[in-house]
Amino acid sequence: MTHDVLSLSVLVFLPLVGALLVAATPKQAAGLQRGITLLTTLAVAVVGVALCLRFDGSTAAVQFGEAAPWFTLPGGVPVHYRLGMDGLSVLLVGLTAVLGPIVVLSTWGHIHERVKEFMVWLLAMQTGMLGVFVSLDLILFYVFWETSLVPLYFILGIWGGERRLYATIKFFLYTLAGSLVMLVAVIWLIWTAGTTDVMRLLDVGAGLPLETQLWLFAAFALAFAIKVPVMPFHTWLPDAHTEAPTSGSVILAGVLLKMGTYGLVRFGIAMFPGAALEAAPWMMALGVAGIVYGAFLAMAQTDVKRLIACSSVSHLGYVVLGLFALTEAGLRGSLLQMVNHGLSTGLLFLLIGMIYERRHTRALDQYGGVAAVMPVFALFLVFAVLSSVGLPGLNGFVGEYLILLGTWQASPWMAAIAVTGVIFGAVYLLMATRKLLFGPLVHSENKALTDLNGREVVLMLPIVVLCVWMGVQPNAFLDRADGSLRDVQARVERARHLRTASIEVPPAHRLEIEAR
Amino acid sequence: MTTPALLAVIAVCAPAAAALLLVLAPALRRQGAPAAVACIAASLASLGAALALALGRSPGEPAVRHVVPWLQAGSRTIAEVGVHVDGISAAMLVVVTLVALCVQVFSVAYMRGEARRGFGRYFAYHALFLFSMNLLVVAPNLLQLFVGWELVGLASYLLIGFYFAKPSAARAAVKAFWMTKLADMGILVGLVVLFVSTGSFEWTATPEPAVATAVTLLLFLGVMGKSAQFPLHVWLPDAMEGPTPVSALLHAATMVAAGVFLVVRAHPLFELAPTTGDVMLWVGAVTAAFAAGLALVQTDIKKVLAYSTCSQLGYMVAALGAGSAFAGFFHLGTHACFKALLFLAAGSVIHAVHSNELAEMGGLRRRMPLTAVAFGIGVLSLAGVPGLAGFFSKDLILTELEGRAGWVPWALLLLTAFATAFYMGRVFVLAFLGAPSARAGHAHEAGLAMTGPLIVLAVPSAVAGFFGGGLAAYVGASYEPHFGLTPLLASTLALAGIVAAVLVYGRGREVAFADALRRLDRAGAVDRAWKLLYSSALLWLSGVLGWFDRYVIDGLMNATGFATLEAGSAVRVVQTGRVRDYALAVVAGAILLSLWGVLS
Repeated sequence: MTHDVLSLSVLVFLPLVGALLVAATPKQAAGLQRGITLLTTLAVAVVGVALCLRFDGSTAAVQFGEAAPWFTLPGGVPVHYRLGMDGLSVLLVGLTAVLGPIVVLSTWGHIHERVKEFMVWLLAMQTGMLGVFVSLDLILFYVFWETSLVPLYFILGIWGGERRLYATIKFFLYTLAGSLVMLVAVIWLIWTAGTTDVMRLLDVGAGLPLETQLWLFAAFALAFAIKVPVMPFHTWLPDAHTEAPTSGSVILAGVLLKMGTYGLVRFGIAMFPGAALEAAPWMMALGVAGIVYGAFLAMAQTDVKRLIACSSVSHLGYVVLGLFALTEAGLRGSLLQMVNHGLSTGLLFLLIGMIYERRHTRALDQYGGVAAVMPVFALFLVFAVLSSVGLPGLNGFVGEYLILLGTWQASPWMAAIAVTGVIFGAVYLLMATRKLLFGPLVHSENKALTDLNGREVVLMLPIVVLCVWMGVQPNAFLDRADGSLRDVQARVERARHLRTASIEVPPAHRLEIEAR
Repeated sequence: MTTPALLAVIAVCAPAAAALLLVLAPALRRQGAPAAVACIAASLASLGAALALALGRSPGEPAVRHVVPWLQAGSRTIAEVGVHVDGISAAMLVVVTLVALCVQVFSVAYMRGEARRGFGRYFAYHALFLFSMNLLVVAPNLLQLFVGWELVGLASYLLIGFYFAKPSAARAAVKAFWMTKLADMGILVGLVVLFVSTGSFEWTATPEPAVATAVTLLLFLGVMGKSAQFPLHVWLPDAMEGPTPVSALLHAATMVAAGVFLVVRAHPLFELAPTTGDVMLWVGAVTAAFAAGLALVQTDIKKVLAYSTCSQLGYMVAALGAGSAFAGFFHLGTHACFKALLFLAAGSVIHAVHSNELAEMGGLRRRMPLTAVAFGIGVLSLAGVPGLAGFFSKDLILTELEGRAGWVPWALLLLTAFATAFYMGRVFVLAFLGAPSARAGHAHEAGLAMTGPLIVLAVPSAVAGFFGGGLAAYVGASYEPHFGLTPLLASTLALAGIVAAVLVYGRGREVAFADALRRLDRAGAVDRAWKLLYSSALLWLSGVLGWFDRYVIDGLMNATGFATLEAGSAVRVVQTGRVRDYALAVVAGAILLSLWGVLS
C-alpha cells in the first residue's frame, strides 16, 4: 500500500471522513455543515482530477493499485481490499469527483431542511460511487454497489417531491431485483473461479463455456440494465428524477446511471466476451429501442423534469448501442458519451432546479418568455440544450458520431434507426426551450423572476468548460481510455475468433486434427 | 505553417476571438457599441486576411493544406482539422467576408433602435456566424465542413429568433433548425458511409460507384435542407422573421449557399455518381420554377426576395447536377453580391417606411434615389439583363443545361428566367415607381452606414460578370462567355419580363394567373404536409407511446412488484414494506461484512 496522499483510498474515503465530520457538528449549524461538505468535495475533486491527470492512458495496466487481505470466504477464497484505476474507470472517476462540489453548491438553493443529514448522505454516496468505479475485487465492488444506493433512497424519500414515497419504493424494488440477481451470479462466479480478483476473473470469465457465460452475463446485465436504465426497465427513472431534489437528480443522471453502463463494459463485455457477442444483436436492439422510445416519451411530457428524464433514456440508449456494436469506434464513443451525458444532463437538471426554486412549478405551460427576464439563465439553458442535442464543437457530437460510426460497421440498419434519435432529440429539446424561454411573458408570475446569481453561475462554469473542451479536443479525454479499450477490443476479437473457429471446424474434423 | 495557411487561420480565428470575447465579457456585450466595434474589427481582419490570401495566390497554384489530428483511436487518426487553401476556398472566403462586413456595417445603422443589450447580442451572433462560415469554407475534409455547417445552422437559429419575444419568430427559428437538422441526418449518415468504406472524410476519396451514389445522395439531402430545395424549402420564407440584414447575409448570400459550396467542394465524389447528378438536375429545376411562381404573388418584399433566393439556389443546384461545378460556383458568387444588395436595399426601405408590405411603399424613387438605384441594379442583375453580373452566370448555367434530360430542365429554367425578371420588375414598380403611399411620403435615405454598403455591393453586382474568365482560371476551371442561342433567348426573355412587369404593374393591373398562384401560395401544401407529419405523426405517436408507457409497461412492472410483495407475505416479519428498513438492512449487512473482514 502506498502512503501517497494521491491514492485511491484517500479519494474513496475522503468523502466518508467528511461525512463523519459533518455528523459531529451541532444540528443547527447548517452553515458549518455546508462548509465542511463543500471543502471535502473540493478536496476530492482535486485528488480525483490529479489522479486522472497522472493516469497513463496508453496502457491497459491497472494503475494506482492497492491491495490488502480483507477476509476469507467459506471455502477458503481470500477476499481482498483491492483498488485500482484503468482506462474504463478513469473518466468516470474524474466525472464523479468534479460533479461533487457542483452538487453541493447547488443544494444552497433547495436544501433548507435537515441539512446535516442531507450532507452526510451526499458524502456517503460519493464514497460509494467512487468505490464502485475503482474496486477491483468483486465482493468489494458489490458492497460499494449496494451502499452507494442507500443514500439515494433517503435523499429521494426525505427531500423529494409530493410522490416521493412511490418513487422511492419503485426505485428500491427495481434496483433490489437487479442486485439480487447479480448477487447470485457473483456467488456462483466466485465459487467456480475460486477468486474474487476482478482482473483474474476477466480471464476466467472469457474461458468459461458459452452457455455458462450466457447465464452469468444475463444476470449481471440485468442488474446493470435496470440501473442504466435500458428499456423496458426504465419506468423507475422518470418517477425518481421527477421527485428527487435537484441535487439528487444531478447525481442520479450524472453518476449513478453510469454505474450501469460501466458495469456493462467491465462485467458484461470484458468478462464474458463470448456471451456479449451472442447477446450483442439483442442488446443493440434494446439500445435502439430506447433511443427512439425515450425520445417519443420525452415529446409527450409536459413536466420539464420528466422530459429530461425521458431524454436520458434516449441518450443512454446510444451508450448501450455503441457498447454492443463491439467495434473500436463504438466502444470509444460510448465511453465518451457516458461522460457527455453526465455533463449535459447534469447541467440541464441544475438549470431546471434553479428555475424551479424561483417559480415552484415544473409545468412547461407555466413558463414562456423567460429569456426576457433571465437572460443569463437563457444563455446557459440554450448551451445545455445544444450540448445535449450533439452540436458539433460541443461534447455530445463526438460521442454520438463515434457511436453511429461504430454501429454502422456492425449493423447499418441499427445505425440508420439510431440516427433518427438525433432529430427527435432536437424536436423535444428545442420545443421545450421555446416554450420555456421564448414568446411573450404571458404569466404575470414570471415577470418578477430574478436572473441567476453568482453562485449559480460559478457552479455551472466547470461543466460548461468541460463541455467545450471535450467538444474541441476529444482526444485529450479519449487518450486516457485508449489502452483499456484496446484490451477490451482484443478480448472481444479473441472470442469472435473462437466462435468462428468452432463453427467452421466440425467436431469430427477436430478430432482428426487432434489425432495428428 | 505556411503564409497562406496562416492567413486562412486568421480569417477563421479573428471572428472566433470576437465571439469568445463577447461571450466571456457580458459587461462589454451589454453596452452594445463595443460589441459592434469588436465584431466589425474582427470581420475587417478576416477580410484583410482573405484578400491577402486570394491575391497572394496565382491561378493554378496547388492547394495548401495544414492539418492537425483531431480524433484518434490509439495511433490511428480518424479525423483531422485544419485549413485547405485553394482557388475555391480563397474566392469563397473573399465573398463571405466581404458580404459579412457590408452587412455588419449596415446593421450598425439598421439596428440602432434596438436596446443596448440586444444590440450587443446581435453582433455576438454575427461574429459566431462568420467564424462558423469561414471554418466551413476552409475545411480540409468533409467532417470539418460539417462542423462549420452545423454551427452556421446554430447562428441561423439564434438570428432568426433574435426577436424571441415574438412567437412567430421563435417558431420560425425552431422550424429552421428542425428542417435543416432533418436534412443534416443525410450528411451525418453519408459521412459515416464514406468513412466506413474508404477510411477517411476526404472529398478526394474514391469509393466504388454504388457507395459513391449512396454517399452523394445522402450528402445532397443535407444540401436540400440548407440550400432550401423543394420540398425542404419551407423554412426559408419563415426565416424572414429575423432582422433584414440577417436575411441578407445568412438567408440569401452566404449560409444558404453553403449547400452549393459543399457540392462544389465534394465535386470529385459527385462526379463518381451520375445518378445523383440527375436527381440534382430535377430538384434544382423544379425548385427554381416553383419558387419563382410563388415569388410573383408575395406582398411582403422580404418574402419575394426569399422565394427568389430559393429559385436562384435551384439554378445553382441544377448546374451542379449537370456536372458543371464552376457554373454553380460562379452563380453563387454573383448571386451573393446582388442578393445581399437587394436585401440591404430592401432593409433600407423597410427602415424608412417601417413596413415590409409592398402596398405601404410606392413612389420611393424620389425620396430614396440612392436606394432606388441600388435596388434597380440588383433587379437588373438578378433578372439577367445583358452586361450585368447575373447575366453571365445564369447564361452559363443555361448553356450547360442544353440538351440535358430531354431539354426539360433547360426549358423550365428559361421560363423561370422570364418569371424572375417579371417578379423583380413587379417589386421595383410597386416599391419605387408610382405614387407614394402615406408612409412612403415621409421616407428618407439613411446615413452613410447604410448607403455605403449598398454602394460597395452595387459595384460587383454590376460588373462581376466580366471577371468570370479570371475566376475560372483562378479555381482551375475554364470559362469563356459565348453568344449562342441560349444567351440570346435568355436575355430577350429577361428584358421582356421587365417590360411586361412595367406594363402590367405600372398601370396598377394584375396578371390573369396571379389568382391561381395566390391560391397555391395560400394552400401552402408542402408546408401543411410537414406540419401534418409533425403534429399527426410525431406528436400523436408520442402521445400514444406516453400512454402505453404509463399504463402498460409501468403497469406491468408495478403489478410484478406488487405480486412479489404479496407472495412474500409469508416472510412478512422481515419484509416490512418500508424502504428505510430495507436500506438499513443493506447498510447493516455491509458493516457486518466489513467487521467480519477486520476480525477474521
